[in-house]
Amino acid sequence: MRRTGFWILAAMVAMVFGLTSNAMAEEGLTDTEIHIGQWGPQTGPAAPWGSVARGTGDWFKMINAEGGINGRKIVYHMFDDAYNPAKTKAGVKELQEGTGIFAWASGVGTAPGLAVRDYILERKIPWVGPATGSSHWITPPNRYLFAVYPLYYIEAKALVRLGVEKMGFKRVAIAYQNDDYGKNGLEAARKELIAHGMQLVAEVPVELADQDMKPHVMKMRQSEADMVLLWVGPVHAVRIIGTSKAMQFAPQFMSTSTCSDFPLLMHISKGLFQGVIATAFGELPDSTLPLMQKYKKDVHEKFAAKDERWGMFYYAGILFVEPLVEGIKRAGRNLTREGLVSAMETIKGFKGIGGEISYDIFNPRNGYDSRGGMKEIYIIQCMEGGKAKKLSDWMKIQYP
Amino acid sequence: MLDFLQMIASGIAVGSTYALMGIAMVIIYKTSEVPNFAQGEMALISSFFAFMLLDQYGLPYHLAFPAALVFSILMGFLLEFAILRRAKEPNILGLIVITIGIEMILLGLVSWKFGADPKTMPFPISPWDSVAIGEVFISGLEMLTLVLALVIMAILFVFLRYSKLGVAMKATQQNSMAARIMGIRTNRILMITWGISSFVGCVAGLLISPTTMQPFMMWDPLLKGFAAAVMGGMTSLPGAVVAAYLLGIIENLFGGYVSIEFKSSVAFAIIVLVLCIKPSGLFARHYVKKV
Repeated sequence: MRRTGFWILAAMVAMVFGLTSNAMAEEGLTDTEIHIGQWGPQTGPAAPWGSVARGTGDWFKMINAEGGINGRKIVYHMFDDAYNPAKTKAGVKELQEGTGIFAWASGVGTAPGLAVRDYILERKIPWVGPATGSSHWITPPNRYLFAVYPLYYIEAKALVRLGVEKMGFKRVAIAYQNDDYGKNGLEAARKELIAHGMQLVAEVPVELADQDMKPHVMKMRQSEADMVLLWVGPVHAVRIIGTSKAMQFAPQFMSTSTCSDFPLLMHISKGLFQGVIATAFGELPDSTLPLMQKYKKDVHEKFAAKDERWGMFYYAGILFVEPLVEGIKRAGRNLTREGLVSAMETIKGFKGIGGEISYDIFNPRNGYDSRGGMKEIYIIQCMEGGKAKKLSDWMKIQYP
Repeated sequence: MLDFLQMIASGIAVGSTYALMGIAMVIIYKTSEVPNFAQGEMALISSFFAFMLLDQYGLPYHLAFPAALVFSILMGFLLEFAILRRAKEPNILGLIVITIGIEMILLGLVSWKFGADPKTMPFPISPWDSVAIGEVFISGLEMLTLVLALVIMAILFVFLRYSKLGVAMKATQQNSMAARIMGIRTNRILMITWGISSFVGCVAGLLISPTTMQPFMMWDPLLKGFAAAVMGGMTSLPGAVVAAYLLGIIENLFGGYVSIEFKSSVAFAIIVLVLCIKPSGLFARHYVKKV
């Protein structure tokens, strides 16, 4: 009887300790695995940006093949949200509550990101490197959210300065995707032009489903714009430039970094993208930087799918997540979410394959410095064959 | 005035694509009373088939495009024969759901085989080279689309009205049982209908592809073509074509003078309006079965 009682007691103790141990463990983290999640459009109008999420996944494969981080392998969970915020929300919830995700990496799109921002951050889950330059990630800032992508605001500022101050354009118009992504560019362009004593001569919204760009181009043509900012996706950018050519409207097109994958854009525009100016925040595809060479050889050549192109969107998937991996390394073997956040805050002047990235102790009044990530960009122009010509060096631009 | 004329010209140009998709939907609806929501993806897969022949196998245009058209007809036959005909105790709702299922499968196939990166179809005419009529611009590709839409409509109109097969198709739609009693092989008629419809859709797809090709590229033309078909009455070929051009023009005028943001929504507002005021469409008298 006493013997039976002992075993019952032992079983109860084991259960209690077992439960306690489980309850105390970090979600999405075991002794051997770290579960990281990401969404990205593999279908739908924004699918060209889907290679971001695939690039991240291939890089994680390389890290795992090289032994993982501090003895743990990364288990990567990526899903296709088709750039549809409702799908992003459903997918994130399903993975978080079903599988358990330790931290979220990147994630394409302002609107999809905004749909899950509160859900992720209310649970105090770290999220590093949303693949979008929206100011929403730092305004207001959140302790668990680390931006990487330079703000669209500073991209717009840089392009307007180049166009107005150096190239002497007098009439600036904008075609913007009619969501938070496009409106970020619109707002920044408006502000920068006001600072130059000017105004946008045409503000043309583009819906994601729009295919016929004639009405849009007509509006810009009517405005007699000599410079047009493009804050749209790659397909819309090509359609706008093509339709402009068909309507004999030839301003200088300038685009946000989201359309800086020149080889792709030259290919689908059948050469019409030549001459377009864009901002860039990462190395060029033919960069000789040793780290770029390593990624090309050890990530793309070894792990990418057969038809995956070594393009800017693909390796941006690595760039956006480099600080997360650096943070996990710095947090050490005793990894926790809080430990990761503290480790991320020690990252200063980090240089991967993009501009310099720095964070600081969380400051709710200064999101840009404490959580802003990359604060420098440079400007490129599309040349023959999709080659990029640098029009500027890396430049830091103040925000706001 | 110039802007107004340009908007009209642009509306007619874009309306031609809607017209082709509208015609494709009407053909199937005329015989089976089923709106085929797989129409867009059937055109998509045929267009990507042509792209594959051109890009990967280096076939010339004069072989690749006819091959794609033949492929589209065979695919139409196959889908009807292998999937729709197998539906047990089919009703309209069930068949609609099946077409949606086919749409998803075809979309998945294209995404899997060709990836999500945009592409452009090599084509003899550039979509971005235009002809200026005064100050009004229209591209060569748009003119070709316009001509083809009108020619296909005329041929189909004559075919459905005066040929034996066309009359058999009409009979199949109006009373399938009676048609069978009269010796019409209704299953075969349905299969042919799917083939013809797939062919017309393929023409639309091939004319859209030189601009940009992506797995989702047929969504908008399909929805607008459907809107035109509904507006035109679902069973009237000229109705669908006229409605498609009206739709293109209304969209452009709405975008130019009212709101560019809601330009794409106009089509759906029109569907609602037409269904409320004249449920049988603007140009069709729906066949009423007498009891």
